[in-house]
Amino acid sequence: MRVEAEADLKALQATGLKKLKPDKPRIAVGLATCGAAVGGRKVYDRLREAIAREGAEIDLVQTGCIGYCREEPLVNITLPGKSLVILRKVTEADADAIVRAVLNGKVPEDKALCRVPAWDHVTGFVMEYGKGFDAIPLYQDVPFFAPQRKVILRNAGFIDPEDIGEYFAVGGYAAAWKALHGMEPEAIIAEVEKSGLRGRGGAGFPTGLKWRITRDAPGGAEKYLVCNADEGDPGAYMNRNEMESDPHMLIEGMIIGAFAMGLRHGLIYIRSEYPLAIERLGRAIGQAREYGILGENIMGTGLSFDIRIARGAGAFVCGESTALVASIEGRTGRPHPRPPRLTDPEGGLFGKPTDLNNVETWCNVPAIVANGSGWYAGIGAKGNTGTKVFSLVGKVDRVGLVEVSLGTPIRTIVFDAGNGGANGKKVKAVQTGGPSGGCIPLRLFDMPVDYESLNKAGSIMGSGGIVVMDEDTDMVDIARYFTGFATGESCGKCVPCREGLKHTLLLINRIQAGKASKKDLATLQEVCETIAATSLCGLGQTAPNPVLTTLAYFREEYEAKVRP
Amino acid sequence: MIYGSAGKDHVPGKPVRVTINGRQYRAEEGETVLSVAIREGIPIPHLCHEESLDPYGACRLCFVEAGKHGKREMVTACTLRVAEGLEVTTDTPTVTKHRAILLELYLAEAPKSEVIKEMAARYGVMKTRFLKKMETDDPLGGKCVLCGLCVRACTEIMGAGAIGFINRGPYTEVNTPFLEPSADCYGCGACVKVCPTHAIVMEDSGSERVMKSWSGTRVPLAQCDCCGRYYAPKELAARTLSALDPQLERELAGLCPSCRGKQIAEREILARQGGAGNHA
Repeated sequence: MRVEAEADLKALQATGLKKLKPDKPRIAVGLATCGAAVGGRKVYDRLREAIAREGAEIDLVQTGCIGYCREEPLVNITLPGKSLVILRKVTEADADAIVRAVLNGKVPEDKALCRVPAWDHVTGFVMEYGKGFDAIPLYQDVPFFAPQRKVILRNAGFIDPEDIGEYFAVGGYAAAWKALHGMEPEAIIAEVEKSGLRGRGGAGFPTGLKWRITRDAPGGAEKYLVCNADEGDPGAYMNRNEMESDPHMLIEGMIIGAFAMGLRHGLIYIRSEYPLAIERLGRAIGQAREYGILGENIMGTGLSFDIRIARGAGAFVCGESTALVASIEGRTGRPHPRPPRLTDPEGGLFGKPTDLNNVETWCNVPAIVANGSGWYAGIGAKGNTGTKVFSLVGKVDRVGLVEVSLGTPIRTIVFDAGNGGANGKKVKAVQTGGPSGGCIPLRLFDMPVDYESLNKAGSIMGSGGIVVMDEDTDMVDIARYFTGFATGESCGKCVPCREGLKHTLLLINRIQAGKASKKDLATLQEVCETIAATSLCGLGQTAPNPVLTTLAYFREEYEAKVRP
Repeated sequence: MIYGSAGKDHVPGKPVRVTINGRQYRAEEGETVLSVAIREGIPIPHLCHEESLDPYGACRLCFVEAGKHGKREMVTACTLRVAEGLEVTTDTPTVTKHRAILLELYLAEAPKSEVIKEMAARYGVMKTRFLKKMETDDPLGGKCVLCGLCVRACTEIMGAGAIGFINRGPYTEVNTPFLEPSADCYGCGACVKVCPTHAIVMEDSGSERVMKSWSGTRVPLAQCDCCGRYYAPKELAARTLSALDPQLERELAGLCPSCRGKQIAEREILARQGGAGNHA
């Protein structure tokens, strides 16, 4: 069926709700890559067997991930009229007990992480699950979730990402309907501008402005809209979870953007290392076409827009806009100097003006359209509005994806959500922004996480990785690791990045081997400053950050290793 | 590419005035600062620039400080387009500082290159603190700085695409695909001509041209019908001649440049004397 009237959308929502809140029990296993990696698929299989054995009337589905990595595999249980209950660390051995409890109208409370009586899906729909299970803590009282605000991960862990019906159920594609049928393109761009949304790939460029520039560029509809899903930072997997858990949210954002900019062609550039995200996006695109939400005559508007998937071959530098375009065109992923920028005439993909936004940027768009720019601008801080998903990893007690309002202090993320160091160790620093971010010491943890504050401290927002280091972490080794990563991922085009990073790595190796002198430290500092100042693209310009920040904040660790 | 069309289908741009090191120069809108500097004899070091190719920005040596209305930014002169009122300073303390480090990196990367040594010395850099790259079987003899000019001349000017970049980052090198002799190489020597560090070795040996740096690629040479000398790569000569005046081709094809010159001169003389020949 094709969605051609608002009533169609309402009907699909009602049908979808019967799946999300059936009149029989529903068991949902978190099966993003993370859940599968810790045995989620086996849990799913055992549950299926147990249900079949009992001949039970229970719906078994898969969902994405709510982001609490430490507690995975996670399993949701919905009993009719009762609060949704999230079970933690479920193993194969628990399957029979879960099914038996569910058949008795109960849940295994010893496995329960929290209960959710109602859930705000943000784009205009609040799911009322019901009451009960009062002995189980409420979602918002779980310390990991308490400081969080879910805007981007609004559906993650609740809906089946492979079923467009469940996306309809939680108000999916209503924002696209509103935009395409009730708003002028100019009004949408104005809304995005007023919301203050900035590029979530890390650079923080105002999204609305980028859209305006693209729309005003010559070329009519023959321009491109591209989603950058080449998330390659070690320890960062926000985008992966966003695509695996809620692919339609990304598609909906892109449709709204296409309409606002007047474009026909969309592309998602995604790394091949994300097979599940590719599979789910492909399926979601297919479903959206079936319902007339992508393709010709979208939602009965006469507009045409479609999305194709372009797979990257695993080069970190291909996240850089000009290298990304080269990669899609089949050329080697090497950046070229800007201008021309992608939005310039002849500067983008296949020589057409091109709008490039990160996965997470797109995912914000339906929420902004559904709730208005005022609502969005009210979240976060001035100039840094909205939320950001961070992957909190490393030597932290509670590992997971943490979505907080921009401007939240690092301390809140690491200590309130993350509960400080793993195994009771003292936290020493965090590294933000991926391999090209900097290390921020504990004494600066009251700093709000926003684009400007991070830059001032010598780091970057990047795509949102936060790697925690504790008292046992050797900061010189950290600098060595990230420099090694950047050296291996340098495209080799310009000399400061290609040669400079190599010699940075050689110098750090000398220091680690105890063969360096104080003079070498000065050389290290100098070469890193030159790499940052003279590299051609963002990779080289930011790659020395781990060294420069550890030299600034943890100099004593270097000095302890060198001869005077 | 509207951004990098200097030299191709040249349409004169609007005249503008640009200030370099306090002196005003005339330039055309669309020209790069580096082109203006080269024309005016203002020294700005560079390795990856070639007037007939688009700006590439890889060698990072041509940094200057530039801007308008007192604002200053460090930017590569090869990618910076002139504009009315643009003010450029070439050897600022910041530029000099970073350039010295870059030159040290070059000295380590291409320790056998005299060109690099001379360039570094010109800017006061006599030695490098970085570990020198030492490879015994480097086909480019420890002189390559990976400026990319050979690859771009081969691909963008000649349309051959016989060589390319292999690997990435510090492992990048230039050679033929799979290090096998290339069937696409014309043996034109454009790569040799554009190489700023004279790293590429090409030799004519009997009836063949040997691209020693490019996996021993061998290209047959054409022999002059008159004197028997080998004078140009066969396929390239045929290609070039096929694009010329057909009459010229019929009568002079197959002659080396020197024999061709002699033939033309002979005919001119004969024509003036009222003898045979139709070239009068």
